[in-house]
Amino acid sequence: MEEDKSKSENPLKVNRRHFFSQLSVGIGSLALGSLLIPDLFKGGPKPLASQPLGIPHFAPKAKRVIYLFQSGAPSQLESFDYKPTLAKRMGEDLPDSVRNGQRLTGMTAGQDKFPLMPSAAKFAQHGKSGAWVSEFFPHIAKIADDICIVKSMHTEAINHDPAITFFQTGSQQSGRPSMGSWMSYGLGSENQNLPSFVVLTSRGKGNSQGLYSKLWSSGFLDSKHQGVLLRSGKDPVLYLNDPDGISRSDKRHLLDHVSSLNKLHHIETGDDEIESRIAQYEMAYRMQMSVPDVMDIKKEPESIIKLYGEDSQVPGTYAANCLQARRLAENGVRFIQLYHQGWDQHGNLPNEMAGQAKDVDQASAALILDLKQRGMLEDTLVIWGGEFGRTNYCQGNFDPKNYGRDHHPRAFSIWMAGGGIKPGITFGETDEFGYNIVKNPVHINDFHATIMNNLGLDHEQLTYKYQGRRFRLTDVAGNVIKDIIT
Amino acid sequence: MIKKNSSPRVDYVIFGLTVFLIFCLVFESFLDLPSMVAWLGRLHPLVLHFPIVLLLMAAGIGLLNQIVPRLLLTIATLSALITAITGFFLGTESAPKADLLFWHQWMGAGVALLAVLWYWISTNHLQQTYLVRGIQLVVIVLIGLTGHYGGMITHGEDFLALPNSNKTEKIPENPLIYEHVVHRIMDKNCIACHNPNKKKGELEMNSLGALIEGGESGPSIVVGDPENSELIRRLHLPMENEEHMPPEGKKPLSQDEIRILERWITLGASDTLRLEHLDNTDPLVGLVRKMMDQGAENKWAKLPKVADTTLLNLASDYVTIRRISGNSQALSVSVFLPPNYSSKNITRLQRIANNIVELDMSGIPIGEEELAAVGQCQNLEWLEIDRTPITDLGIDKLKTLSKLRVIKAYETAITDESVTVLKGFSSLKSLYIWETQITDSGLSELKEALPNVHIVRGIDPELKDAFIKQATSLDSLQ
Repeated sequence: MEEDKSKSENPLKVNRRHFFSQLSVGIGSLALGSLLIPDLFKGGPKPLASQPLGIPHFAPKAKRVIYLFQSGAPSQLESFDYKPTLAKRMGEDLPDSVRNGQRLTGMTAGQDKFPLMPSAAKFAQHGKSGAWVSEFFPHIAKIADDICIVKSMHTEAINHDPAITFFQTGSQQSGRPSMGSWMSYGLGSENQNLPSFVVLTSRGKGNSQGLYSKLWSSGFLDSKHQGVLLRSGKDPVLYLNDPDGISRSDKRHLLDHVSSLNKLHHIETGDDEIESRIAQYEMAYRMQMSVPDVMDIKKEPESIIKLYGEDSQVPGTYAANCLQARRLAENGVRFIQLYHQGWDQHGNLPNEMAGQAKDVDQASAALILDLKQRGMLEDTLVIWGGEFGRTNYCQGNFDPKNYGRDHHPRAFSIWMAGGGIKPGITFGETDEFGYNIVKNPVHINDFHATIMNNLGLDHEQLTYKYQGRRFRLTDVAGNVIKDIIT
Repeated sequence: MIKKNSSPRVDYVIFGLTVFLIFCLVFESFLDLPSMVAWLGRLHPLVLHFPIVLLLMAAGIGLLNQIVPRLLLTIATLSALITAITGFFLGTESAPKADLLFWHQWMGAGVALLAVLWYWISTNHLQQTYLVRGIQLVVIVLIGLTGHYGGMITHGEDFLALPNSNKTEKIPENPLIYEHVVHRIMDKNCIACHNPNKKKGELEMNSLGALIEGGESGPSIVVGDPENSELIRRLHLPMENEEHMPPEGKKPLSQDEIRILERWITLGASDTLRLEHLDNTDPLVGLVRKMMDQGAENKWAKLPKVADTTLLNLASDYVTIRRISGNSQALSVSVFLPPNYSSKNITRLQRIANNIVELDMSGIPIGEEELAAVGQCQNLEWLEIDRTPITDLGIDKLKTLSKLRVIKAYETAITDESVTVLKGFSSLKSLYIWETQITDSGLSELKEALPNVHIVRGIDPELKDAFIKQATSLDSLQ
């Protein structure tokens, strides 16, 4: 009995007798199995995860991603999806044939009318491609020929938390790994001295929605794929620096001893998370040197600071984070996730959105120009977008100067640039009300599949087995949108 | 009565195996082998080397007028029979048999049966010197041919082809859609049967005119209308349909290949259309680019093999070495600045020099020693040496790197002297040389020599001004 107990506690403590007793059962069941299932030992189709991990499945077009997430959901109707019909039919009720049973949020479910509201921002066509961009984004308008605007994104979620979780993890319910973690898992790290998935946050003055670490969590994947939140200011990574009076060699000794103890523990229990932890300690040690260097934007010349805007000198702003993102990308971070909060304009949209746009417009465009001059747009994929769109009708009082828009999952716009995405194109179309997609819809699963494809990963092949099933970022769906790939 | 000089048991075995082999060959189409027996076929690659050596040895000895040792001939004959039988088993796995396998099977069987005949003649001491001579000669020739065909089956038909055959796989930049893409797909899949020599169904497919003219079933393509084009219709038929093309047993076209043909027909089935004529959003652009990329991965197929352990040994916390993709031998190397850098960090990579196709040394204090090592990386396509203390002397070390596609050398001290070297990179596509000492005259020299290269001198000054001015004007507002 005692023997059995120790065995169940520790699978590695198997003695000869256990081994043979289990072996005989094993051979017997093999024989039985082959009798019952004749094809049991025939070579079946190749197992799903036959690809080596940490290496692209095929030659990639992009090596890294910078995801400029606009948290709160910026309105597509004041940014990239120009709908003159809304001005012509201003104030008219949204026809039921267009709404077609779309569920509403609690915020507008009580409205008895859905008056169409035109954009307060003027639109114009820009670049050789003639892309429509609103006056809120004068700098992005200047790089119109470098970006691919997708006007036909859609999602199922209608509230912020499930929607952003869907975008980040491929599922509306929490608990799955973030897409940055999936990429780290699938592609491995480019620079061993920095985390492969880094998160930077900033906040505008507009109405904000919360951000929480579950959005960059590694879920059931190894914790080394977790996104690392870099803070602005003196200590980008908390507790990274040694306390006063501890020298680097002291730290080295400490780590060596801790590591040997951990290794003993690993031999005893066989828990792989212990190895992860040893590796994390070592990386933190190297990060003590690498992080301050990467984060020090004082090394940037005046012209670059001005390119990103004066804000880029103020730590914690979106502009500073964009500049930081470029530096991290240069240093081999695979997935750099920015969040800019404050895009949830249920009211006071024209003012708030102008402010939000001013926060991000110049720096986003500058990032593209800067990456382009460094030849990094050839292998860096930049994504700009929120978690869903906004309604074409007014929320609250009907006032063309001060209106609001509610959440709208059926159609919204994002843009992407570089990393194997065709520059200077607009993909997908919405109807004249900007409410439904009429051409080339792109679901979040398709979006994920496409990004993975450009990183050299087959979204159907990159799986992780957990709780008895194989999980994918795209779950059971997703098609690569070939028409936007170079 | 002639006295036999071998044990009857061996004779029976040989006789039995011979009968079995002939039985197999004659009743091939009626045989349904149990899987265990078919598995024996897997022994074929193992045993086939015995008869090759032993029979050649025996035949050689015989032709030199020496007495062929009895035991040698016996073992050689036995091994030839076993090889032929296992080969037959192996062959049943791939029905229907292609030409190569067909010839390999019958010549292999021929070798075995000739060996049996020889064995029988010599066992019974028949005085047939000339016949035996003949058998020995034929056996030698047949072994050579059988081996060659077998080799082509396992290693591919062009395994023994001379290098430098002019049929390059690479699709040129800005290809003609018909000539370089559509025709290539047809050449691979259709033209073997539909050519002037072998006009199956009265159809030729090796020219656009012939395609439009068509064959027994009328024109193969209806310009602008893929759905009514016979060619496309047949591609989409279910595999078991008689009319499906390519016919049963041949590899069907991939979905992408079919989409390319369809889109090309929709766009007018022109033979002058080029990739650059197409709108960037046209689905054909992506499909053709994908095909071109596959060609790009093929170009790395001939790189020397490099073991994972080698990569593990050479990699460190500051030198990342990665395969471009799963099973590729092409490597991408990124170097990051370690606390105590020495040139060894890079020079030790010489062991894998031929495999490196991408090398990132941005911001590393490299000198001529490192660049001399980089100069050994003959297959290098992507080189980042921006923000390094390199000079013209260093660039000179790179002049043998003819495959370079991308060079990033911004924020360095290179001057017009490097222009002569840079001019020589015929595969170059992008060159990043802002904040260098290269003058306008050097630049125009470069542009003249490399008209299609994207030369980046930094952000367009007008655009940059717009960004910077707007920033300052807003400041003044505040």
